[in-house]
Parts: sequence; structure tokens; C-alpha cells
Amino acid sequence: MASSVLDQLKRKEIVDLLDQGKRIDGRAFDQSRPLSIETGVIPKANGSARVRLGDTEIVTGIKIQPDKPFPDLGDKGIFICTAEILPLAHPDAEPGPPGEDVIELARVVDRGIRESGMIDMSKLVLEKNKSVIGIFADNSVIDHHGNLFDACSYATTAAILSCKIPKWEIKNDAPVLVEDHESNPPITTIPVSVTMGRIGEHILVDPNAEEWECIDARITITTNSDGNICALQKGGRDGFTVEQLSKCADIAISAATKIRERLKQTKG
Amino acid sequence: MQDDKKRYVIPGDVITTGPYRPDQNVTLDGNRIIATVIGISEISDDSVRVIPLTGMYIPKSSDLVIGKVVSHTSLSWEVDINSCYVGILPAADVFGRDFSAHADELTSKLGKGDLIAARIVNFDRTRDPLITIADRDLGKIESGTLIKISPSKVPRLIGKRGSMIQTIEMATHAVITIGQNGLIVVSCDDSNGLLKAINAIRMIEEEAHMANLTDKVKEMLESR
Amino acid sequence: MGGRESTLVLLDKNGIRCDGRKIDEPRKIMIKAGVLKNADGSAYIEFGDNKILAGVFGPRDVHPKHLSNTDTGILRCRYHMSPFSVTERKNPAPSRREIEISKVIKEALQPSLMLEKFPRTVVDVFIEVLQADGGSRCAAIDAASVALADAGIPMRDMVCACAAGKVADTIVLDVNNEEDQAGQADMPVGYMPNLNKVTLLQLDGVLTRDEYKKCIDTAIGGCKLVYQIQKKALTDKFFENGGNQ
Repeated sequence: MASSVLDQLKRKEIVDLLDQGKRIDGRAFDQSRPLSIETGVIPKANGSARVRLGDTEIVTGIKIQPDKPFPDLGDKGIFICTAEILPLAHPDAEPGPPGEDVIELARVVDRGIRESGMIDMSKLVLEKNKSVIGIFADNSVIDHHGNLFDACSYATTAAILSCKIPKWEIKNDAPVLVEDHESNPPITTIPVSVTMGRIGEHILVDPNAEEWECIDARITITTNSDGNICALQKGGRDGFTVEQLSKCADIAISAATKIRERLKQTKG
Repeated sequence: MQDDKKRYVIPGDVITTGPYRPDQNVTLDGNRIIATVIGISEISDDSVRVIPLTGMYIPKSSDLVIGKVVSHTSLSWEVDINSCYVGILPAADVFGRDFSAHADELTSKLGKGDLIAARIVNFDRTRDPLITIADRDLGKIESGTLIKISPSKVPRLIGKRGSMIQTIEMATHAVITIGQNGLIVVSCDDSNGLLKAINAIRMIEEEAHMANLTDKVKEMLESR
Repeated sequence: MGGRESTLVLLDKNGIRCDGRKIDEPRKIMIKAGVLKNADGSAYIEFGDNKILAGVFGPRDVHPKHLSNTDTGILRCRYHMSPFSVTERKNPAPSRREIEISKVIKEALQPSLMLEKFPRTVVDVFIEVLQADGGSRCAAIDAASVALADAGIPMRDMVCACAAGKVADTIVLDVNNEEDQAGQADMPVGYMPNLNKVTLLQLDGVLTRDEYKKCIDTAIGGCKLVYQIQKKALTDKFFENGGNQ
């Protein structure tokens, strides 16, 4: 049905199954949906990826171009991450300026990558304080079936890992493109986000569309290749106990390792 | 498609010319009869129609539909019936003609998210369809699993004179309520039977246009 | 942007264009119907290097209510380019160009839809250009028409679109990006093949009256080729054994 009011029978079914230790799609509580990652899908962009996490589908493009550095960061390149839920992704998605959900999504994905130090920004300087390389990651959600946080994060990470950075030289005070001299991005670590939802006492990794409608609270935890936590975001109308938060961290660290192996394979 | 009275068509295809009466899903351009949807065209003695393979549910009087309550005013509930038109269930239908807007609380009977089996009372496109649950086989659905299929596949699921749906019910001991709007509720005491019934419905939705579907479904129901 | 001198040969002495095509040859086209799970209808097209996604919702309730029409359903159309779809990254906010293209696409599709059957509703068409390559508005219409049929919206006809243009003093079919930049005219055409009606027509450049007629005919020839590909996309999804034997 078109309306996103979840029917009561479905909600009851989900909760009843959880109390029996089962999920509505048969997954284990700490199991993500099937993940497919394809890179280089937009050849004209500097990097790109198409990710399917269950039925959620994202296309992400990386554009790299020279830019002015931020005022007090003249020795670092720029990284900007955006997200848009395209109106064709869901009957309730509306065209127009981004609402608070989408803004939160973009900022959480951005922080996960930025705070991990994934890209060594000091290697992206053309002329200190004047000209640096800007990496723009734009996520387009094309089919929304829950947990956009992880799907966009994996798509952005895969697109960055597989992108090619063009070479610019400074001539007469301006950056000039040097053809056919692309290089791999300076990667230091691979951040992996794991989003969990809480329904009653149960913690579920990667809630699908129906579970997403029922969750009382959610948390996204991003870890880097060392297994350290580099970003966190809690959301939803309710809270977590301290024990639950501890459990979530353990789950996030362990669930991230398998996904990290998948992402490693996308390196250019 | 061997039968030349039946053909696969897409919108804009000319089905035939001549003195036929245009029936469902066709339009007249001069003396050409043109398909307006993707489907199977059928030429009968005096009329031409297209059986659609896609498209949404358009309410028809006396159709049985499964709906989801989405909101209410002081006088009626608004029910999502999987169509572009929202079903209106008047409070008087449930509380009786002596219904009083102050005394009787609508949410005591039906709340947001509740599923109901209802019948379309009347519908014309100038206003939203009126529905009723005042019949023995209608009302709030207390249990069961809800499945959604494309409304255009419902006739195939029911089968000739109900043959297909009876086959499934007998093989699985499930009770299946089919809404013309593509919503189906399946109840079964046996979880194995429930799973089989759901798989059978999904199989019919995916392969509705294929030959040998009945045999394939029977084969699947009999296995394991 | 870098100041490179153009050594592009638009049309050589053998009648071969800069990308190897003949003057009446369109770029490679592929269309797939039903690619999205949430949208009521959808299609994906690759037209040359254009990669475009179209999603349709409807007919559905109109919000805000004051837009709804008691006599007929309405059509809304949004053509949008992803920031990464073009050489220099584009700001995600809709530009004036996108708004105009949204309007002409809407008016190209509108005559084909039987919206009077659904008063007080809206059909929403959302087009996202994932990679752009010249002629994207035509490719967008081609995908949108397939998506509308996929959604089961009653239509009088399909709408197919293709551009023709003038390059090196010659009328050619399906102008690509380089030809658009360096050529003399670009004319996108949208066409309903069974009703024989043109529903999109624009011109960038200058043509004589004879060139204008030749350009329209050439473009319509291209539209008819695209129509076969649209048919195939729908046939592949809905009919077994590839349709009527």
C-alpha cells in the first residue's frame, strides 16, 4: 500500500518473531542483508560505486577538482560528502531542499569517513594556503528500503577506494591539468559503519524497511581498520541502556571486519 | 500467442480496425482501436478489450478489498485500499444509525494500522469510494499474514471459477482472503503450510503470464 | 577550461563523424524496464554515454491539495542531474536549465497520458541523470515513457525522442556532446509513433527552411528506431518468449 503507516499485524509479527529469536527475513540478529558493490559505474566521474544492501540501492559519484582550501587549513585538501534521497526512491520522498533526515544522513556518512582519517588530506595540496584538491562525494539514494546510513557509507567508501586522482601543476598561479597522470588516492584506513536498531530488548544489525518502521532507537557506529571507533550517531525516539551500548560496540566491531574485506576488494 | 484473437500489446499498438465496441483499456482513434496499457488484447464478437499486466487498483462497486486504516475524522475512517483513491468508512457503518459524534469514540473500534476486509459500496471518480464492513465476512482482521501482489494478477490467483486458489487452500489447509486490490491475508495453523501458500502466491504473481503455471504450482505444493 | 585547441574533425571526407558514426546512425541505445522496487513504474536508459534513471509514482493523491484538479489528473515532472553527472561537478540544487527541461519533458509526455480518467490525482515522473552526454532530454523522455507504461498509466501512445542537428553543413542524426558544442544546430524532437504527433520540439542554432524540414524528418526517423528499443524493453519484462510469434 502506498501509505507508510505500518500495519499492526506486521508490527506484531515482527515483535513476536523477535521474542522467539527470529527475524522477519530469517537473518541472524547480527547479520546484514546481502551486499553487492559495483565500482566504476559512472565512467565520467573520477570514482563511482553502486551499492545494494538488501533492496536499498545507492549510486555514488566522486568528483575531484582543484579548490581553495578552508581558511585555517591551508595545508589540507577538502572532502565534502552530500546525500540526496531521490524522489524516485520512495513514495514519500519529495523533491526540494533536503529535510532534516537527509541532512543527518549526509553528515553522519561524512563524519564516518572524515574522522577515520581515511584520506590523507595533507597529500592533497597543490600550493599551500592557495590551491588544494577537493574531493566531492555525492550519494544518490535510488531505492529506499531502510538503513541508508550503512548503504551510503559503503558506497562512498567503495567509490573513494576505487577513484583516480588527476594531476594538476601550478602554472602562472593557477592549477593546470596534466593529462594521463592519474594516481590512486592516499588511503590510510577503511572505515566501516554498522547501524543497529533496538526493538524492545532486541538489537538488530541493518534493519530492513519493515523493521526500520518499528525501531525504538538506532545507533550507527563506524570503526576503522584498527578496530577503533571513529564515529557514532544515536537516533530515534527512545534511548539505549549503557549495557546495550556496550553490546552495540562489540557487534559493530565484529560485523565490520567481514564488510571491510569486501570493501578492500574495490581498491583501484 | 497462437490465438489471433489474443495478442501481446503495449500502449499505442493498433489492435484492429472496424466496427467493434471499445471495452476496457482501449481507445478509439478514427476507426482504429488502440491499446492503452501493457497487456493481452482480446477481440470478442462485438468488442475489444485489453487485459492489463500492470497498473494500480481502480475501485469498483461490490469489490472485496483489504484495507489499512490510516486516519479518522469525527465522522469516518480513512482507509488505504492500495489505490490512488482513499476509502471512506463512515462511523455509522460500525456504530449504527444512532451514531453520535460526541459519545462514540472511533478509535475504540478501529485504530491506525488496523487491517480490515471491506466491500466497495459505490465509487465514481468525483469523490472517494465509500466502503462498508457491515457483513459477516467483513471486518477487522485480527490475525494472519498480509501479502501484496499487483492487482492485475488477482484474476490469475483466483483462477477459473476459483480453481487456482482452491488448489492452494486444499493443499496447505490455509485460509486465504483475496482483495481485488491486490492485498491478500493468509492464515494457517501450520507454519509449513503458511510458507507454501505464500510461495505459491508469489510464484503466481511472478509467472502469471506464463503457460503451465497451474502445473508448476501443483508441483511445488506437492513437494516436501 | 585548460585551453586545449580543438583538432576535432566533425565530418571527414568519407562521411564519418567524430565518433565513427555515419550521418544517419544513432549512438548505442539500451533500455531496461522495471529497475526500481519502490516506484510504481521505472526504466533505465543508456543512450550513448547518457545514463538516466526514470521513476514514476501514480496516479496518487495530490499534495498540496490546491494543485488538484477536479476534472483531470495532473502530471508533474522533475528532470535532475546528479552532481557527478557532468565534467565539472554540478551543484545539487536545481538550475534554471533543469527547470526548463523538466517543463518541456512534461509537455512532451502529457499528450500521451489519459489523465482525464483520474481526476484529483497526480502522476509524478522523476528523472535522474547519472551521467550526461548530450541529448539527455531526449533520452530522458524515452526512459520516462517506458516507466509510465511500466506503471500501468493508461496512454494513447508511447513517446519516443531523438535529436537531429546540423554539423559541418550536414544534417545528422543524434548529436553527441562534441557535435553539440562545435556544431551549427541541435534539434531535439519528441514524437508519438502511432498517432504521428510531435510533442517536443526545440532548436539551438540556425537552419534554412529546407534544413528545418530535413532535420525534423531525420529526427523522427531516429524516434522510430528508439520506439523499437522501448518496445523491446517492455516486451522483455512483461511477455514470455519475447512477445507475439
